[in-house]
Amino acid sequence: MTSKPLAISLQALAAILGGYLLASASTLFLSAILPLSKTEAVITASLFSFVVYPIAIIWVYARQDVKRAWLGMVVPSVILIAIAWLLSKGLS
Amino acid sequence: MQSTEKTPFRQAMSALHTWGSLIAGWMLFVIFVTGSIGVFDEPVSHWMQPERASILSTMDYDPDSATDRQAAVGKAQAYLQQVEPNGHLWFATLPDLEDPAIKLFWQDADENPHQAKLHPDSGEILPASMDRGTEGGHHFVHMHFELHSGTLGIWIVGFFTLLMLVALISGVIIHRRIFKDFFTFRARKGQRSWLDAHNASGVLTLPFQLMIAFTGLAVFVSVYMPAAIFAHYNSPEAFFAEVFERPAPREMTHEAAPVANLGQMFAKAEQAMGKPGQFIRVEHPGDSSATFTVFGLFDAEALQGRLVLPSSGMAEFDAVSSQQRHIEAPGAEPQGAAFRTQRAMRTLHFANFGGYTVRWLYFLLGMTGAVMIASGSILFMVKRRQRALNEFGNATPRVYRTVDVLNVAAISGLLIACVGYLWINRLLPLEVAGRAGRAGWEVGLFFALWAITLLHSALRPVNQAWREQLLGFAALCLLLPFVNAFTVGEHLLTYLTERNWRAAGVELTIISFGLLALKALQKLRRKAAANKSQTASVKIEQAGVRG
Repeated sequence: MTSKPLAISLQALAAILGGYLLASASTLFLSAILPLSKTEAVITASLFSFVVYPIAIIWVYARQDVKRAWLGMVVPSVILIAIAWLLSKGLS
Repeated sequence: MQSTEKTPFRQAMSALHTWGSLIAGWMLFVIFVTGSIGVFDEPVSHWMQPERASILSTMDYDPDSATDRQAAVGKAQAYLQQVEPNGHLWFATLPDLEDPAIKLFWQDADENPHQAKLHPDSGEILPASMDRGTEGGHHFVHMHFELHSGTLGIWIVGFFTLLMLVALISGVIIHRRIFKDFFTFRARKGQRSWLDAHNASGVLTLPFQLMIAFTGLAVFVSVYMPAAIFAHYNSPEAFFAEVFERPAPREMTHEAAPVANLGQMFAKAEQAMGKPGQFIRVEHPGDSSATFTVFGLFDAEALQGRLVLPSSGMAEFDAVSSQQRHIEAPGAEPQGAAFRTQRAMRTLHFANFGGYTVRWLYFLLGMTGAVMIASGSILFMVKRRQRALNEFGNATPRVYRTVDVLNVAAISGLLIACVGYLWINRLLPLEVAGRAGRAGWEVGLFFALWAITLLHSALRPVNQAWREQLLGFAALCLLLPFVNAFTVGEHLLTYLTERNWRAAGVELTIISFGLLALKALQKLRRKAAANKSQTASVKIEQAGVRG
């Protein structure tokens, strides 16, 4: 059982920091898999993060469950970053 | 909000919209108002620089003469060579028929910025009597995107822009009757009217608000979301060099070498580009790695209606050996769909693709966005004044009071500071001491004036604070033309007879804002009087019952 101010802060952090993590991870992932030139893939992936980030925040607040919200941000981020990292290792 | 049955999802979105927007509203109002004014930065700068006219009417310098341009480059080099021979960067803008000075900007070895303006003929520093040191309309643009605080400011503005997107999305989700409310406005109904005003201003301009928030983020995409750039490139500079198909900046060698004759290189650059140059840049002058870049004249009129702007042309030289390193032909199109998309978003955000029609449209839509934000912040308190919701237990009255104080200071206080900035421009002596110079004083006093409105709002009961600040704003707007006439002898009549439409437009717009403030004030007074007579009649009734 957590106190109310703590729960509100954790939820806000899940939205802001977790959301930014997920947006960055999606950018890394997309820039690695998009079949475009390097600059084009980077720009497309980076611009798309501004769609991912607000939706992630909305999702965190729709869940109303701090633990699940954090998991929902961190787990996909780790997976996306891992794939992007493996791809960059495999290709270079 | 107005729905009868509330799903948990909609309830969550309603809370997110209310609290997220409350926190973001004050800063977003600042971003929207200064951004809307910033659309007219050029006319505002024009109004704020009445001394320019005297140089323009007496100078021999001809922007169309290649010899004069080359000589101006020589003057810029002579000055910079003297004050900062081993700086990090030199940058100069050549005179034109709007701003006749040779404008210099440079960074010393520690990358601290400096600037100066030279007379186009003599190459001497412009005396204060010819140059009213001011940031002009750029002050509003800088407030808008970085709050005068550099990279940190860019991040703060970006964060609030993100909250804006979240507020717009959650606002649409909770707003079920979005199309019906398109046509709904119930005036003079207290809380209901504030909600209608908030909904109408938001719904009518929703596409613009979404566009402006998203493109605002896209302008600084490499700052806000650098993950992929760092994953694929050694540095952001390397990324930009590849995107723009330009040579990457050279590393410093720390071997001393003099900068060659820039005027001669400039003439070669103009020949290579086949058009006049407008900006020049030297990177690490005094080092053997120094490069000299000339950027071609940006012709806004010729590019009207285009969202993806072609290159204005550029030529780059080794600044020591005078060897040409790179040439970019004027008219070269940016390549790649993603890059072109980002460029188009930039142009869309900057509102410089369709002349004054588009600028006025952006100004009105931006100000409507500001109305949406302000009415939302006010609605928050109007609702709670009717019936306190006690969200913070014992602290609730203190929190409500803080929201009231910040509402007044962020809304009417900012408006006072913005028009006050123009008063400061006219009243501050031309020569002032201090390292930041006169322009720094103007901006400093803008913030000081804003701080005073915060203090005032904290000391006065909220209704009085609103009324007094609105009155102050109206007075500042309506008296500005007189201050202008008394200090520099310019006024609407001189503007109109000289066909100085830009200055006339600035003053007429400010006068109409003053009249709007008076109108709002009148409404507040009437409401206050109505409330008073209501409480009075209740008291009489109670007295009658008791007696």
